[in-house]
Amino acid sequence: MPHLIESGEGAQYLLMGNEAIARGALEAGVKVVTGYPGTPSSDIVERLAKVAIKMNLYVEWSTNEKVAMEVAAAGSLSGVRSMCVMKQNGVNVASDFLLHLAGSGTRAGMVLVPCDDPGALSSANEGESRYFARLFEIPLLEPGDFQEAKDMTRWAFELSESIRNPVTLRSVTRMSHASGNVTFGDIPSEDVHAEFQCNGFMLDPMQGPALSMPVIYRHTEQQKKIKKAREIFENCPFNTYRGPDKPELLIITSSACSLYSREAIRILGVENTVGLLKLGTTWPLPPKLVKRYLSKTDKILIVEEVLPFLEESVKILAAESAYEIGIKRFYGKNDGIIPSVGELNPDLVAEALAQILAIDYQPVSDEYAEKAQRLATLQVPPRELTFCPGCPHRASFWSIHNALQLDGRKGFVCGDIGCYSLAMLPCGFNTLKTLHSMGSGAGLASGFGKLGSFGFTQPVLAVCGDSTFFHAAIPALINAVHHKSNFTLVVLDNGGTAMTGFQPHPGLEINALGEEVPSVDIAEVCKAMGAKVEIRDPFDLEGTRETLNQLIEDKHGLKVLILRQICALSPEKRAGKQYEMTIDEQLCLGDRCGCNRWCTRIFRCPGLVWDQQKRVTRIDDVICTGCGICADICPEGAIKRQEVA
Amino acid sequence: MTSKQLPHEPYNIIITGVGGQGNVMASRILANMLVKKGYYITIGESFGASQRGGSVMSHIRISERSNWSPQIPKGRAHAVIALEPTEGIRILKDYGNPNVILLLNTRPIYPVAVIAGEIEYPGLDEIKNSARDLASKVWFIGASDEAIKLGNPILGNIIMLGALSGVSDLPLENEDFKEVILSTIPPDQLDINLKAYDIGKRKVGLPL
Amino acid sequence: MKVFGPSELLEDVLDKDLCIGCGACINLCPYFRSYRGKTAILFPCTLPEGRCWAYCPKVHVDLNELSKRFFGRAYDENPLGFHRSIRISKAGGHIANASFQAGGTVSALMSFALSKGYVNAAVLTDRDGLLPIPRIAVSPKDVLACSSSKYTAAPTLSALNQAIRGGYDHIGIVATPCQTLAIAKMRSNPMGDKDFFDPIDLVVGLFCTWAVDFRAFESFISERIDMDKITKIDIPPPPAEIMEVYIGTGKIEIPLDEIRKLVPKGCNYCMDMTAEFSDISVGVLEGRPDMNTIIIRTERGEKIVDKAQKEGFLILDDIPRENLEHLVWAAGNKKKNAFIKAKQEGLLTPREKGAR
Repeated sequence: MPHLIESGEGAQYLLMGNEAIARGALEAGVKVVTGYPGTPSSDIVERLAKVAIKMNLYVEWSTNEKVAMEVAAAGSLSGVRSMCVMKQNGVNVASDFLLHLAGSGTRAGMVLVPCDDPGALSSANEGESRYFARLFEIPLLEPGDFQEAKDMTRWAFELSESIRNPVTLRSVTRMSHASGNVTFGDIPSEDVHAEFQCNGFMLDPMQGPALSMPVIYRHTEQQKKIKKAREIFENCPFNTYRGPDKPELLIITSSACSLYSREAIRILGVENTVGLLKLGTTWPLPPKLVKRYLSKTDKILIVEEVLPFLEESVKILAAESAYEIGIKRFYGKNDGIIPSVGELNPDLVAEALAQILAIDYQPVSDEYAEKAQRLATLQVPPRELTFCPGCPHRASFWSIHNALQLDGRKGFVCGDIGCYSLAMLPCGFNTLKTLHSMGSGAGLASGFGKLGSFGFTQPVLAVCGDSTFFHAAIPALINAVHHKSNFTLVVLDNGGTAMTGFQPHPGLEINALGEEVPSVDIAEVCKAMGAKVEIRDPFDLEGTRETLNQLIEDKHGLKVLILRQICALSPEKRAGKQYEMTIDEQLCLGDRCGCNRWCTRIFRCPGLVWDQQKRVTRIDDVICTGCGICADICPEGAIKRQEVA
Repeated sequence: MTSKQLPHEPYNIIITGVGGQGNVMASRILANMLVKKGYYITIGESFGASQRGGSVMSHIRISERSNWSPQIPKGRAHAVIALEPTEGIRILKDYGNPNVILLLNTRPIYPVAVIAGEIEYPGLDEIKNSARDLASKVWFIGASDEAIKLGNPILGNIIMLGALSGVSDLPLENEDFKEVILSTIPPDQLDINLKAYDIGKRKVGLPL
Repeated sequence: MKVFGPSELLEDVLDKDLCIGCGACINLCPYFRSYRGKTAILFPCTLPEGRCWAYCPKVHVDLNELSKRFFGRAYDENPLGFHRSIRISKAGGHIANASFQAGGTVSALMSFALSKGYVNAAVLTDRDGLLPIPRIAVSPKDVLACSSSKYTAAPTLSALNQAIRGGYDHIGIVATPCQTLAIAKMRSNPMGDKDFFDPIDLVVGLFCTWAVDFRAFESFISERIDMDKITKIDIPPPPAEIMEVYIGTGKIEIPLDEIRKLVPKGCNYCMDMTAEFSDISVGVLEGRPDMNTIIIRTERGEKIVDKAQKEGFLILDDIPRENLEHLVWAAGNKKKNAFIKAKQEGLLTPREKGAR
């Protein structure tokens, strides 16, 4: 693994896109780095947190993206370069502040880095962050490869300072989590002095107060900044062209799609007929540059993920300048030649090219393809996602599911974002019945809990993780208490932000740098709100289930049950097994009446394996983490646990 | 700076397996060995599903000229290292072609549906036959079993890398491996990793 | 009788709201559980044949088969079921004083059987407030603690299943008609078990016209009365048409029509008023609040009643003709009404003959 700060100018390393961005920020002299964990963005903050003490950086995992952006803005306003990192929908959370920050402007360079997830490889949506650039009038940059990820990040800070506005640098999963060769630049060694100068003339952008008002004035200034950026973009080295002087077809693309497009051109062997305009500055578009290339041909294909953002910008420009450059034939998402959902890859681009240019594209012979498909269908079993062995969520949802079945009034659970989102699948007994954004489980529950006057009788539950609690659930809970909404919140407290890599959050006594810090107690916060609060260990299955049934039957307002048990992937748990698990095969009923594979088929922990031959369960010692709770579910007492010395 | 010409430009390798098998580590080691030789390397991966039972794959592009797409185009894998048998077949469905070479670890990792008793895992002979049918050359390696003998199942990925070094034209010498592995693992683990690499190299005799 | 499995049980009984919560399917496996009077299935079980179906009194039952097994003759339309004699009774002086219902015959019989070793465990129903709680009693004292009628449907058979798992091999049980039917099914070895052994030695059935659903009843009562103050509940014989709820200071009367709304749907199709598949059946005696009606059906039942009488645990007398006539009429009426309703709902065609 390359150490981000150990090498100087000229050294070449294999870096992940996120590492390249982190290095670029260091080379720009960034000092304040904030964010909220979100795949595929988290590594940027993690890498910088690792070197923070050595490099005198302030790195923070903020409570949520809105606060993260505000904290970063404070750095910029005090003359210190700052960066704010999040996944695509994090920008939605921060957007109100971002709107106003674009109005007030920034001072030292501030770069916002959203990492989008086309195809939703690790998200509950494939939303776009790029539109905020147009919506809030903020320049948008998109690196097209790993070297650019570093170089553009570095440059973004300069751009931000030259227009005194935040700049967005947008990455995608296939850039952030992919790796490529990067040559390092130098890291400056400069002292910084932070001071918020705010006593100057009200409209002074560097020394006056930071205000988004007077609005019309600020907005006018903002648009001047965009105009300046546009001019800078005309000569930006990150907008590149490769291909013939007069291509038959011009591809306009950005981000990882430029790599797919380049590959597609090569696969089809059409380097001499297809030109590739890769834009690094995708909003505002530099009109002269784009028109120059639009003039080269009549056929233009636009390749991007996910929505036709670039396509629309280019089409607007083309329409406005049709009298100059002629009428163009466009291909892209709107006509369906590029899929309008999901991520792209070289094959999809190659298929589009093949269709436009009327040439054949066949990756392998029909015979091979048919054979491979047939054999794979017969032999390759699907791999469902599951909770890790020893995961407290399996225990929690076991109890929640069973409590609701015993209650019998068609109760349901509003879900939220985290590892426990998997509870919509069999591993969590299909318990979650809604799943939207961070904190929305509690919000929906607050609403469901008020429908009693319309004949609503179903018990309402919501779940959220310990990190999600702080991020977004609190306002919904206060709403519920104040409006006397009747529901039960189950906080699944596993001691960290697990799904994204076990980052810390305000409920822990440790921060991004590993320093000891005060924590905020979830139970106390809920009590202060006026909720009824109980705390249980989810590994106590019957106790948890009984408590849940009691809370569900209570008709009065908000109840909070905190299920506290540390994540199986945490360092303490991974250190060793608590129990050694064995099966007494004489007692195991297996698939007979009285059990019918209760532990393997229903409970479904990967450590419990059904032995087809012997028709009993066995423990997979390699996978089993020794949490011991399966011993409590066996109806025959066939699962034995022995404490490890 | 590059010492050998690549058999293909770019040369495409896929390392595939199930989350937790050391897929990512293996791809990094391989890539860093080749970066040192002056190649352009592009790795494409997706994490997230990795810890929770899902399939994972790393696409590795080795080029003399530039970085490429992090996803290998369909049907264009030149070498596939399968840390799990059915994952190997799954990869060949999309990225295989009659000329691909395949290194297959023979130890299964059962998906949840199999261990829950709902579906059956295919027999190893069936998988081997498919592998022979879909690849030009295939080696079946008991990498996990050897790794368990060494005392740590995850060394299976190192053994498979060693095997790759034994069959491919790529410059993957023991010294390159040693240099790279030292920056990845604690020094007291060096010997066992070198041993594992060597076992892999020796395990590949003639292709079946 | 063909045996089906839990999916069919779900379809035929639970989803049709016909479950009366007798507990026959509970404690056989982890899938079925009872919570606050309601039987729930936690997860779907996929077995094609299961004891849950085999024991359930609300799936199709071959009464002929059961009658031949237990009484040696085909099932006939005698409204009171097969019996050797019908008398009236009350607890004898040998029983310590307890808060009996009516004549205390059931408590007397069961504590006699336990103290003499005819059974080594008695499965009874206790209560906590209004919530019925099945119990395994191993001493006469435990038996007396469970005396007094409960009008709520109770999952008593869950304790029977528990007792059998616990190794008790001479079990006595006090059961409602639906429960005695389930017990008869259990004892007929429906799964064809080669090593089958019948651990039940005494079934005392209770007369029952209907029971109330616990949750509905609790909700209804709690709106009117402070639950903690309830000491006893009674439904006196007709023509009273009331339920009496005794609280510390007196009693509250509730019209029976209101209570009837709380009866589980399954009770409407029940044709058995006097617990026909028991050794001894016991009920009230109209006009005599200190006595019970007692129906003696089997040889074993007869033996135990005789001994109990000889040793002073039970006092017997002849049943007045009016009472007997009225009993026959009431039992026949229940059969008729249930039969008509069941036919209307299409509940009389067994699954294997293509119903549903």
